[in-house]
Amino acid sequence: MSTKNKKVMVVGGGIAGLTAAWELSRFNINVELIEKTPFLGGYAIRYCCKATDECRQCGACTVEAMLKNVVDEPKIKVHLATEVEKINNNGRISVNLKKSSYQPDLATEGIVRGYSKNNTPLHVIVDKKKCEENPDAIPEGAVELDAMGFSGKLDVDAVILASGFQPFDAEQKGTYGYKKFPNVVTGMDLERIIRENVTVVRPSDGKTAQKIAFIQCVGSRDERLGNLWCSQVCCPYALRMAEIIKHKNADAEISVFYMDIQNVGKDYAGFYEKCKMDFRFVRNIPVDVFPMENDSLSMRYMNEEDGLCINEEFDLVVLSVGIMPGPDNSNLSDIFDVGLNEDGFFAGVDKLNSSSTLKDGVFLAGTVAGPKNIAASMAHAGQAASEVIKHLGVS
Amino acid sequence: MTDMKHTDMEEINIATDVLVLGGGLTGIKAASEIAGSGYKVILVEKDAELGSQKGPESLIGLEEEYKGLQDLEDKIKTDSNVQILTHASLVSAAGVTGDFTARLSKGEEVIEHNVGAIVVATDFAAAALNEKYGLSPADNVLTQSRMDELLASEADKQKLANKTIAFLVGLGQEGNPLVLERVLRSVLALQEIDGCDVYIYTGDLKVASNGLERMYKESREKGAVYFKLTEKPEIADNGKTISFFDPVARRDIEISPDLIVVEEEMRADDLNEELAEILRINVGPLGFLQKDNVHFFPVRSNREGIFVAGSTREISGLPSAWTDVENIAVEVRDLLGDGKKSVAKNKAVVDEDKCVICLTCYRCCPHGAIYWGDKKAIISPLACQGCGICASECPMDAIQIGGFRDEDMTEEVKSGVASGNGTPRILAFCCQNSAFEAGEMADIFKMQLPEGLRMIKVPCAGKIDLDYILNAFVAGADGVMVMACHPGNCKSDKGNTFAQWRVNDAYRMLEEAGLEKDRLCFVGTASNMGSGFSSIVVNMEKRINELGLSPLK
Ligand SMILES: Cc1cc2nc3c(=O)[nH]c(=O)nc-3n(C[C@H](O)[C@H](O)[C@H](O)COP(=O)(O)OP(=O)(O)OC[C@H]3O[C@@H](n4cnc5c(N)ncnc54)[C@H](O)[C@@H]3O)c2cc1C
Ligand code: SF4
Ligand code: SF4
Ligand code: SF4
Ligand code: SF4
Repeated sequence: MSTKNKKVMVVGGGIAGLTAAWELSRFNINVELIEKTPFLGGYAIRYCCKATDECRQCGACTVEAMLKNVVDEPKIKVHLATEVEKINNNGRISVNLKKSSYQPDLATEGIVRGYSKNNTPLHVIVDKKKCEENPDAIPEGAVELDAMGFSGKLDVDAVILASGFQPFDAEQKGTYGYKKFPNVVTGMDLERIIRENVTVVRPSDGKTAQKIAFIQCVGSRDERLGNLWCSQVCCPYALRMAEIIKHKNADAEISVFYMDIQNVGKDYAGFYEKCKMDFRFVRNIPVDVFPMENDSLSMRYMNEEDGLCINEEFDLVVLSVGIMPGPDNSNLSDIFDVGLNEDGFFAGVDKLNSSSTLKDGVFLAGTVAGPKNIAASMAHAGQAASEVIKHLGVS
Repeated sequence: MTDMKHTDMEEINIATDVLVLGGGLTGIKAASEIAGSGYKVILVEKDAELGSQKGPESLIGLEEEYKGLQDLEDKIKTDSNVQILTHASLVSAAGVTGDFTARLSKGEEVIEHNVGAIVVATDFAAAALNEKYGLSPADNVLTQSRMDELLASEADKQKLANKTIAFLVGLGQEGNPLVLERVLRSVLALQEIDGCDVYIYTGDLKVASNGLERMYKESREKGAVYFKLTEKPEIADNGKTISFFDPVARRDIEISPDLIVVEEEMRADDLNEELAEILRINVGPLGFLQKDNVHFFPVRSNREGIFVAGSTREISGLPSAWTDVENIAVEVRDLLGDGKKSVAKNKAVVDEDKCVICLTCYRCCPHGAIYWGDKKAIISPLACQGCGICASECPMDAIQIGGFRDEDMTEEVKSGVASGNGTPRILAFCCQNSAFEAGEMADIFKMQLPEGLRMIKVPCAGKIDLDYILNAFVAGADGVMVMACHPGNCKSDKGNTFAQWRVNDAYRMLEEAGLEKDRLCFVGTASNMGSGFSSIVVNMEKRINELGLSPLK
């Protein structure tokens, strides 16, 4: 079983990439883990725990655990703020890397902080000028973004693409007023709000939100946008977060506007029954949202009983945004010469083996190959690792 | 902090043969992958034939892949690394990881095999839901399986020409993507036949699986009509007419189909319960062999070396069963290696002189890591997860856990309560998988934490002995916190439950000793709950401040 001189590159340090890297390292395979942003963990490292009196199996805490495994593992070499520039096939795969073009969207005080205590560095200086105004505020160990990133060439025996997804950009659904009205938030925002605040407050005034609407399928299952897939995660995350809100505030009135509710967890029927007692379910996707005085929102939808239009007032509207193909998919598809499917995700060789590609030596892990939750992304990464081990001829 | 590293290692030899239970498609794939990694596999099937002969259901539309499956089966039949036992079943499985003794019965014969790992790959059973819709079996009432059979035969297919066919799905049960996929595949197949009209009466469409939304759209474009309902339609004349009131159109919609196809429920295999008992693994929701606990996903059972694949653990189609099998192949390779394992000697050690063979540890070990040797309990270093539940339950204190020995813990408690300077001393016993991580996160992210808080790391809340709690109070702690994983999230399945029981016992004792109950608390946390941790401990400090410092000081 000789794996000593084998080297594998994993592109993307989300939960799929972390899992793939760690699985390979268990077999003494050296891993080069490439991450575009300054932090490992992808989206899932930002999520809140969705337990009420009991764990709801959202999987967020397993991401913390896997990140810890990876940073403690010397066989995994991490390159933050780094991207793939081009590759050459010369028996092995020769990969040119460059400093990434990553720019954070908002950087208060010129510094961005990681999401996990296992992020190293934990603080990254993105705007040196801003920081110079107040040097005392620079946390110990902070590293300049400009000083991060690796450029150079690495020869590897296989590549796993794990560059993930992007959440649907809710501004595209203009009638919901995302980013125009402060109390319209996305599921991604709500994850952060709960993670940081323990209770759910309205962004506009910090008051506890009482009347809350969840709108499902925002960006997914949408013929007009041509997004003909179910994102698979937004019913589970929405219902789980709605349950915590209810758990912390029994008076909260929660309505869920939906087309079809997808199953949550292994004991889905029991969970759904509980949800039906706790929330109002309306089988209709609302048309639009208007601001009212006191920052509340008026939402227009069709009544299922009589087909008439109703306006109803809410404190907070949550848009359950789904999983869209990653922003770099077409670029990575060109670089690695691996095709995308009709939805824009990477295509596996067939239905049963969705982690191998038609390109020899290139494999897929996680949402890069289509919508998945955390657990499924990890399982898919395990499958990719298994395929890589076979490819390397380890026996 | 105590040193967690196990420096005292020893090398042991383990069995590297692998037992695969279930010769369906998943079992065949598992045998092939594991044999491909160089291990000998014993593949056990209760029926006369291996998997791919058994019914083509749920394979419609996967014909291309199905061809590959036939090859796979032919291949393992000639693979010298795979021994196939049909008409056979597992009678018992003694021993532990790396050294199971499996007894298999085949007819009159009983065969014994020493294996290092076991893979469970049972099928699911499909059960018709006719009764839920008040339908009796008749020529015009078909189950989904029957429809699959008709569509698999060219001759039968033609008999469906010019028929009006209604499907009932998601109204007799919650359903799942696999149930819907079977319906969508047959709808699309029917649309290839001349003159077929298809109506689907459905509850929530469970489209949460790759490709289903597209299939749904394609079938609608080709003329299938979906009625999305919240309750069952009126079915008269044993399915000759179906009607419901459409609130938007404000009228009854009635259809008289030639055939009505009733959804099926996918249940756990009847074999599961018996296998769970023999293998001492947990039964989860709906009779599948895995609890709903993220630490077991994807393929672990509560016992090291016993893995669960595909429909054994949840309702699963072939693609996810394939993913499971590849994950198992990786796990098996990592576990068995070349048959030589380096293991920690001191993970959990039984003191022979103290052990009175009371069986307590054997019963409470959630990982089935304890077996019986010559007049004492023996803990397998390979199977043991070091949770410490046994150590805290042993009435003789005969078990010590490496890195967390009782004397170390006593020392930590003492130093934790020392040097009080007026602020309340709060000792928090923190599970290393959840609360300890959350506490470190709160600290590193500079969230508010009480000055007098001391965290004591334990391998699992199940290690928190009643004595630790009481000793902490005796030593002068003003408050004691037992911080475990949330119920349902314990890596050792029930370490947090044991901890909760012990806290309940401690409450009674505090009351007897005249100490306020509020000085002790039990909470669930998760590793990503930095701010949650902070608010919990800050509240605890408030409570202690209201009570004042401990009278035992
Ligand atoms: C709002 C929301 C809530 C969710 N909640 C849950 C939940 O509660 N439970 C659950 O199970 N799932 C949830 N999910 C799904 C979950 O986010 C995904 O399953 C998971 O994040 C997928 O991991 P990944 O590694 O495939 O992708 P990502 O998390 O996207 O990680 C990809 C990584 O690759 C990096 N990368 C991208 N491009 C490049 C490149 N060119 N070069 C190098 N690196 C690159 C990215 O920076 C990122 O770090 C939720 C999804 C959404 C949208
Ligand atoms: S709810 Fe999610 S984050 Fe919280 S303990 Fe359960 S799996 Fe972990
Ligand atoms: S999971 Fe739910 S909300 Fe998300 S796309 Fe699917 S049906 Fe819509
Ligand atoms: S619980 Fe203690 S005394 Fe009882 S069998 Fe186990 S080690 Fe021996
Ligand atoms: S420490 Fe835990 S896993 Fe190990 S023998 Fe004891 S109870 Fe079992």
